[in-house]
Amino acid sequence: MFTPVFLAEQTLNGLSFGALLFLLASGLTLVFGLMRIVNLAHGAFYMIGGYLGVVVAGLTGNLLLAVLTGVVVVAVTAFIVEVVLLRFVRGQELPEVLLTVGVSFVIADLCLAIFGGDPHSLPSSAGIQGSMTVGDLTYPWYRIFVIGIAIAIGIALIVIQNRTRIGAVVRAGVDDREIISAMGVNIGWVFTGMFVVGAALAAIGGTIGAGVRSIAPGIQDEVLLYALVVVIIGGLGSVTGAAVGSVLIGLIDAFAKAWIPELSYFTIFAPMALVLVLRPTGLFGRTT
Amino acid sequence: MTRTRAISGGAIVALLAVAVALPYIGATSYVISLVSTILIAGMLASSLNFLIGDAGMASLGHGAIAAASAYGAGWASKQGLDPGTQVLIALGITLVVSFMYGILSMRTSGIYFLMVTLALGMVVYGLAFRWSQVTGGENGISGIKRPEFIGEWWTFYYFLVGAFVLTTALLAVVSRSPFGASLRGIRDSETRMRSLGYSVPAYRLGAFMISGTVAGFAGLLSVWLTHFVSPSTAGVHKSVLLIVMVILGGVGTVFGPLIGAAVVVLVENVLSNEVERWPTVLGLIFILVILFARAGIVGSFNKLIGRLKRRATSTPSPPAEAELVTPSGAPVSERNHTA
Repeated sequence: MFTPVFLAEQTLNGLSFGALLFLLASGLTLVFGLMRIVNLAHGAFYMIGGYLGVVVAGLTGNLLLAVLTGVVVVAVTAFIVEVVLLRFVRGQELPEVLLTVGVSFVIADLCLAIFGGDPHSLPSSAGIQGSMTVGDLTYPWYRIFVIGIAIAIGIALIVIQNRTRIGAVVRAGVDDREIISAMGVNIGWVFTGMFVVGAALAAIGGTIGAGVRSIAPGIQDEVLLYALVVVIIGGLGSVTGAAVGSVLIGLIDAFAKAWIPELSYFTIFAPMALVLVLRPTGLFGRTT
Repeated sequence: MTRTRAISGGAIVALLAVAVALPYIGATSYVISLVSTILIAGMLASSLNFLIGDAGMASLGHGAIAAASAYGAGWASKQGLDPGTQVLIALGITLVVSFMYGILSMRTSGIYFLMVTLALGMVVYGLAFRWSQVTGGENGISGIKRPEFIGEWWTFYYFLVGAFVLTTALLAVVSRSPFGASLRGIRDSETRMRSLGYSVPAYRLGAFMISGTVAGFAGLLSVWLTHFVSPSTAGVHKSVLLIVMVILGGVGTVFGPLIGAAVVVLVENVLSNEVERWPTVLGLIFILVILFARAGIVGSFNKLIGRLKRRATSTPSPPAEAELVTPSGAPVSERNHTA
C-alpha cells in the first residue's frame, strides 16, 4: 500500500487523469471567463469527440486523424449552438445555462441512438503502444503521452493569451466588453470563437480520453462534474487555476480510489466544499 | 383582476374535482399511478419553484434532497422500524441535508449557487451508490412499506391529493408573507437589502430549509408510492428534469410546477412508448420554451389573458406595444407573481 512503486504508479495515474481534466476544464473556464456562461453541454462535446475519435481511429488507425475529426465536428456543432441558440439569450445568466442543458440532453440522446449503449474505447493499435519501465515500475506510454499533450496545450493557451493580439482582445473582453467593442472589435464573434475553441478542447479531451476511460452513455455528466469541481476549486475564468485544480483533483481521485474506494466521490467534493466556504471565488478566481 | 381570479379559482375547483372524482369515473390503476407520480413530481417542482421564483436560487441538486429522505425511510423500513420512526428518520435526514445545502450555498448566488447544489447532489448520489451496506448500492432498497392507514391504493391516492393541496397552499402562503417579500427583495437587489439591515445569508438559508423540507416530504411520498429507491433518483438527470418542469410550467406561478410535471411525466412514461428518442423531444421542447416562451405554459397563458383583457377595456395601444418590446425574453428573475 505504501511501497515506492505503488506511490509512483498512483501519482502517475493521478497526473494522467489530471491531464485529461485539464483539457476539459480549461475550455470550460476560458468560456466562462469571457462569456460568463457555464456551458453544461461541455460534457456532451467531450462525448461527441470521444465517440468520433473511437470510430475514426478504428477505421484508419490514425490517432491524429481521429482527434482532428472530433475537433472539426464538435467545433461546427458548437458554432451552430452559439450562433443559433445562445445569441438569443445573451447576458441572461439562467436561460443561457439552461439552454446548454437542453443541448446536452439532445446530444447525449442522439449519441445513444447512433453509437448504442455499449462502452467504446480507443483501439490500442491507434494509440501509443508499449510501456515505460523504470526499476520495478512499468507504466503505459500512452498515459505519459496524455500528460505531455495537456502540458503542451496548457503552455500554448497561456502563450496565446498573453503574447498574441488575439489573446489581448480576449483579455480586454474579459475586463471591459463595452470599451473593446467601442474600439472596433466585434465582441460577438470573439464570443463565438471562444465558445468554439472551448468545445474543441473538450473534443480533444474526449478523443484522447477514450484511450484511458471508455465512452458510454452517462459519461457526459460524469466528466462535466469533474470539470466543474476543478473549475470551482481553481476559480472560474483562470487557466492557471484549472491547471492547479486538475492536478489536485487528479491526485486526490487516484489515491482515494486506491485507498478508500467506498468514498471516492466524497473525497472530490469535500475539498470543493472547503474551498467554497473559505474562498467562494476559488483559489485563483478574481474577487469582483 | 377579478376575472383572472375567477378563472384561476375555477381552474382550481375543476382540477380538484377531477382529482377527487378520478377513482370513481373508472380510471385504471395505471392512470391513478400516473397521476400520483405527477402529483409527487409536481410537489417536488413546487419546492424548487419557490426557491427559483422567490429567492432567485436555481438549485441543480434538488432531486438529491428528496432521494436522501427516501433513503432514510427505506433504511428504516429495512431495519423493521415502525412507520412513525420511518417518517421521523426521513424528516431528520431531510433537515440535516437541507441544512448542509443551505449552509454551503448561502453565500453564493447565480451560477456559483447552481454549481454548489449540483456538486452536493452528486455527493448524495455518490454516497447512495458506494455506501452499499446502508443504501444497497446500485440495487437500491426495495420492498419499502407504507403505513397501514394509507395502505390501500385509494386511501393513499387521496392522501397524496391532500398532501399536494396542503404543500401548494403552504408555499403560496409563505411566498405572499413578509418573508417571501424579503426573499424577492434579495433576489432583485442583494446589496439594497443588505444595506437595509437584512441578513441575506440567513434569509437564503431559511428559504432553502423550507424548500428542502417540502422536497424531502415529496421524497418520502415517492418511496411510499413505488416501494423502491435507487441511486438514480439522486442523479443530476432527475434534478435537471425538475428545473425543466419548473421552467416549462412557468417560474413563480402557483400551478406552473404541476403543469410542467404533468408534461414531463407524460413524455417520460407515455410518449416513451411511442417515440424511442423521447429525451431528444424533451430537450427540444425545453430549448423552445426557453427561447420563445420564457414565461412557461402557465405564465404565457396568464400573459395572454392579460393582453386580451387590455384589448377588451380598449385602452390605446402603448401598453400592448410595451409588451411587444419586452417579449417573453424578460429574465426569469423579473417575473411577478400571478396564479
